[in-house]
Amino acid sequence: MGVQQNMNFLVVDDFSTMRRIIKNLLNDLGYANVTEADDGNTALPLLKNGNFDFLITDWNMPGMPGLELLKQVRADKRLARMPVLMLTAEAKREQIVEAAQAGVNGYVIKPFTAATLKEKIDKILATQSASAA
Amino acid sequence: MSEATDGNMLTEVRKVASDLQTALERFSIDSKLVDLAQHQVPDARHRLAHVLRLTSEAAHRTMDLVEQCCPLADRTAREAERLIELHKAAGQEQCSAPMAEFLQHTAENMGAVRGNLAEVLLAQGYQDLSGQIIRSVMTLVDELELALRELLRITQAEEPRPASAAPRRDRMGPVVPGIVNGSAVSGQQDVDALLSDLGM
Repeated sequence: MGVQQNMNFLVVDDFSTMRRIIKNLLNDLGYANVTEADDGNTALPLLKNGNFDFLITDWNMPGMPGLELLKQVRADKRLARMPVLMLTAEAKREQIVEAAQAGVNGYVIKPFTAATLKEKIDKILATQSASAA
Repeated sequence: MSEATDGNMLTEVRKVASDLQTALERFSIDSKLVDLAQHQVPDARHRLAHVLRLTSEAAHRTMDLVEQCCPLADRTAREAERLIELHKAAGQEQCSAPMAEFLQHTAENMGAVRGNLAEVLLAQGYQDLSGQIIRSVMTLVDELELALRELLRITQAEEPRPASAAPRRDRMGPVVPGIVNGSAVSGQQDVDALLSDLGM
């Protein structure tokens, strides 16, 4: 568990207030390394050139939406297995299915609670380490 | 098709086109429409953008204060707990009942305060959700403005009578930078000065 606290998170959302909330929640959970990006377009180069362990992204963003970012991540050899959690107000069944088919690991609907965020992150990490074992 | 039928259809089409042209001309000369396109709709966009800014600033300000309060609450709780432990170790007689009670309550209350601060932080999520809705309305307003301008261009509107200025309304609501607000004062000091001049 101690090793995981050093994980590098990338939080992508076009609203700075939401990025700040998520960053605070992650800090409270013990994850101190949190980087922010305001769009899929700014996030992708950060992911490609960086060393991130977990991506949390919104869907509805003006430049590159979250679904497209997810697809780009899954299409990149180095990034393909990165845990991706979608955190969005988009709540239509078809959208959730589309995200799942594109390879998202978790989907949280806004408004959300701190407990839900923790639960989904823990679940994704547990699944990852189970499949790695 | 026969030539006669062609001829009839052409006449019909010409008539419809002429009726449409007349209707559009009547439509555009209405000064209200020009006012909408040139003032009210762009104003609406400015107002919505201003709302986005206001809510963002307020939410960030709230989070600044929450982030300042959290360590204060944590430290107070820790110090209360430390004192409780010290008193336990030293023996009950060292600490009066009211003091012991105070320390216990402090530790518990700071826990509650910390929990509430976390909820306040989370509640700032309203700015994102309301902001997304406002942005989609702004897109609609942009499209409306384009459509109106195009309509006016097509019908080559003359200057309407009477000449339109910024809309005069008795109640303007909050001051929005960039929108003409007529006789609005610019702060509490101005209000006080004005009332003072009136003898209040």
